[in-house]
Amino acid sequence: MNNLKNFDPEQWVAKYSDALYSYTLMRVNDSGIAEDIVQDTFLSAWRNRLNYKGEASEKNWLYTICKHKIIDHYRKKGRNIITYAETNNTDNFFDEAEHWTQADKPKEWGMDYEQPVEKKEFYGILEMCKTKMQQMQRSVFVMKYLDDLDAEEICKVLGITPSNYWVLIHRAKLSLRNCLEKNWVNI
Amino acid sequence: MKKLLNITCKEATLLLCKKEQNALSFFEMIKLRLHMGICSMCRLFEKQSLFIKINAKHEHIHAILNKEVKEKIKLALENEQ
Repeated sequence: MNNLKNFDPEQWVAKYSDALYSYTLMRVNDSGIAEDIVQDTFLSAWRNRLNYKGEASEKNWLYTICKHKIIDHYRKKGRNIITYAETNNTDNFFDEAEHWTQADKPKEWGMDYEQPVEKKEFYGILEMCKTKMQQMQRSVFVMKYLDDLDAEEICKVLGITPSNYWVLIHRAKLSLRNCLEKNWVNI
Repeated sequence: MKKLLNITCKEATLLLCKKEQNALSFFEMIKLRLHMGICSMCRLFEKQSLFIKINAKHEHIHAILNKEVKEKIKLALENEQ
């Protein structure tokens, strides 16, 4: 396989930076943070190049490092958890009796829910809705629904309890469902 | 007994999130089933929830990293050498 000891930084960046950037952007929804993570990934790969045994492809090796950097980012965000409970006011989907309000109750979307959408405009709206979520909700949502990590692992990374986890997943789902209905289904 | 088994839509949607990840206790399963039998909105929520699950798992961003950032990274890598 490739030997990184004689790699060319110029080529490396040209070959992989866009893909790593796209991958990261899907998971952090912030271009500035994604740029930093990509730079960190390359630097870290370079510094650890002697540990690269050539077992994985160069590309997969870089992705593995990038994944770790993204998890580190979530972990740092997780430390600020104290604020999320107080600042959360997404409970307006339900009335005092905790039943759906007229305005926010789910409405029929008139489609086959089990078919993937595969439309560019849909993904644009999905990303927009993800940015509208609160930071912690988004972290939990991405780790679960994009990367399919175990609940236990997610709790460990973010330093949260299982009950925090379910609250965050629940709110993320409610908020995303509502946002999709308002912005995509009705266009 | 009725009070014990009755849940609100807010609780039901939380339990639906748990159900999706196979994390329901037996008692929660019973409560959820009873609620779902009478609540069409929560039934709709479950379908749309599945829709989200299916569609969230898709790598659809094909972004180009800013040229200046690329240069910055190259420079940083060269400085390491």
